[in-house]
Amino acid sequence: MLELRNISKKFDGKVVLDGINLEIHNGEIISMLGTSGSGKTTLLNIILGLTAMDSGTIVFEGADISRVSMKDRGFNIVFQDYALFPNLNAYKNIIYGLRNKPDAVSASELDELIDFLELRPHLTKRIDQLSGGQKQRVALARTLATKPRILLLDEPLSALDGVIKETIKERIKAITKKYRLTTIIVTHDPEEALTMSDKVLIIDKGTISQYGTPKQVIHEPNNNFVEEFILRQLQIKRDNIYQLFKECHA
Amino acid sequence: MIFGGIAVFFIAFLAAPLLILLANSFVTGQGSGLSNYSEVLGDKSVAAAIGNSIQVSTTAAVITTLLAFTLAYAVNCTKMCNGLKMLIKIGISIPMLLPTITYGFAIIYSFGKQGLLTKFFGMELFQIYGFNGLLMGYVIYTLPSAFLLLNNSFGYIDKKFIIVSTLMGDGFFRSFINTILRPLIGTIGGAFVLSFILSFTDFGIPASVGGTYNVIATQLYQVMLGSIPNFQSGSVIAVLMLLPAIFGVVFLNYLERFNFYYDGFSVTELPDNKLRDWALAFVSVVTVTGIVSVFLVMFIAPLVTNYPYDLTFTTQFIQQALFSSALLDVYENSVFVAIISAVLGTLIAYCAAIINVRTLMSKRAKISIELFSMITNSVPGMVLGLAYLLLFNASDLKGTFMIIILCNIVHFFTTPYLMAKNSLSKLNPAWETTGELMGDTWIKTIIRVIIPNSIATIVEMFGYYFINTMVTISAIIFLVTARTSVVTSKIKELQHFANFNEIFVLSILIFVTNISIKICCDLVNQKLTSDYR
Repeated sequence: MLELRNISKKFDGKVVLDGINLEIHNGEIISMLGTSGSGKTTLLNIILGLTAMDSGTIVFEGADISRVSMKDRGFNIVFQDYALFPNLNAYKNIIYGLRNKPDAVSASELDELIDFLELRPHLTKRIDQLSGGQKQRVALARTLATKPRILLLDEPLSALDGVIKETIKERIKAITKKYRLTTIIVTHDPEEALTMSDKVLIIDKGTISQYGTPKQVIHEPNNNFVEEFILRQLQIKRDNIYQLFKECHA
Repeated sequence: MIFGGIAVFFIAFLAAPLLILLANSFVTGQGSGLSNYSEVLGDKSVAAAIGNSIQVSTTAAVITTLLAFTLAYAVNCTKMCNGLKMLIKIGISIPMLLPTITYGFAIIYSFGKQGLLTKFFGMELFQIYGFNGLLMGYVIYTLPSAFLLLNNSFGYIDKKFIIVSTLMGDGFFRSFINTILRPLIGTIGGAFVLSFILSFTDFGIPASVGGTYNVIATQLYQVMLGSIPNFQSGSVIAVLMLLPAIFGVVFLNYLERFNFYYDGFSVTELPDNKLRDWALAFVSVVTVTGIVSVFLVMFIAPLVTNYPYDLTFTTQFIQQALFSSALLDVYENSVFVAIISAVLGTLIAYCAAIINVRTLMSKRAKISIELFSMITNSVPGMVLGLAYLLLFNASDLKGTFMIIILCNIVHFFTTPYLMAKNSLSKLNPAWETTGELMGDTWIKTIIRVIIPNSIATIVEMFGYYFINTMVTISAIIFLVTARTSVVTSKIKELQHFANFNEIFVLSILIFVTNISIKICCDLVNQKLTSDYR
């Protein structure tokens, strides 16, 4: 279990996170949802170990890891733009971390991962020859091959569109369930958060607005912010789609 | 029409002089042939000068590249405080505001037997005349350019890869090689080539601190302005000076294959590493302090009665210089040449960039402008100056300010042109079409929309031309006369009379003028940017 206790952070005197308390159980998929500047990416970076917090404690599996370096925490991240090494082909990107952790996955596990993400036909391609969805899957494979203790995904679907987005969404859900991997997703899209995760953490101005299951968020919004800025977006989207289908059938 | 004008300009003032120079190198008493080359290359002193130039320039380029890389790494890949980063950037650019001939005198007055830094350390650190002095001068001279090049490239390195590499378990060195060194290998090579070429072709530093250690630039000067000028041998040496530039272009093309381009780019926080930050802060401060301290003497010597023997404060030398019509005249000449070169140079470079980026001119026309830009970038100032001397010696241009201005415009063309090209290519490509639909002619759209939206770059181009024209000596040394003498050539003249106080006062004048122009340009740009916002 990952516990965040009273996490606070300021940048240049401006409060970005203010007393965040959170518990994430093993194998859960959590989405952090919020508007730009709400503090969700800072919280993600604090969990990763990239950004130092001003106060608070991070406990993982009962051990205080607040002062453990990013490298030694054993968490890993897929960045929004994937950060794939352009001088290496897809396969070399996937196995990049295995040079340092050769025992992280066996050859058969790696094969299984590659097949599961349907990357076999693209292994020898250069990064600039891959589509957005393929890049996303290569980045995911590269991260998963190191067997992270927690998987962090920074806006994983923002660079994708249409059907690809839905496919990747399903694949992320499937793979995290398959490996029973605790996963934290940062997103600004309510639909993405509510359809991908077991629990949703809604952050507003550095504080938690609501933390609960998608059902709880939809049926029991905690406050005006959740209602106005999160649920309203979904309602408008839903109404537009209903309207469109009605017109089509009329 | 604009392209026609620019093409004629470069044919007349770049292609023709260089062709004449090349042709002249083959002219012999018996007609034409390679005998000039065999004669020059057979001359032991020339061979030794070439060997010396290669040796000292290579050493300087290695040291400069390492230092520039370290400083750029410190500025871009550490969590050092921003104030210190700013100080490094400012400190490192100071030498760019001074002529290279001043560097040598500053080195002599700092590291000579009675030098300021010799006194500070209590001993003479090294023999300054010859290899050591040249090496130090070249490193100081080429470090700002190499740093700017690397610093700019560091800006395009996606720091997220450092995090990915760390998370994948890479140690410091593997992470450094994969995420910093590998993406920058092309630019590092570029910085080496730049530093080598600048050192190989510079005249100011060997003129002041070279001593008996002859290099190719001083050899060319001696051949051309010695007791019996030898135009043929001079042309051969000038052609030989072009060779490193050709080698540089080939080498840079080879390095191009190592460049790689990121898909996207985002700003991210760097991992903490106190040891890295402190170590690099220390190296950076020592380097910048070292550079600044060499020039410190330039501001002290003219303000004391008899440096270094009588250190009583006096303003006598400053007053003498400021009231001396001879010195003020050359200063006025310098400022005049710099202003006209900057105005006309900016205009030509901007027009060339407009043609390349904002018109549907034929590909051939655009390639020819690129070619002009590549050639001007490769031809050393001394070679261009000599080519002008050969071509225009019998014309009305000889001995005029105009020939100096033209030489400066051509010599410094590449950077302002690339600045304008880069800026213009970022503007919305649909503006001309929109302007046309609104009833504007193309030229009207340029004046009403394109120029106002790239005015900051135009100001920077002006500043670049002005400062470089003020400090150059290589490009103008063969072209000035007693009437058109500028500050840098006057410094060379004053060297013969060992009149170092006047040399330093003139150097301070150049420094103050350049720094004022730099601040003015920055202020104007700040104002323009804030107005725009």
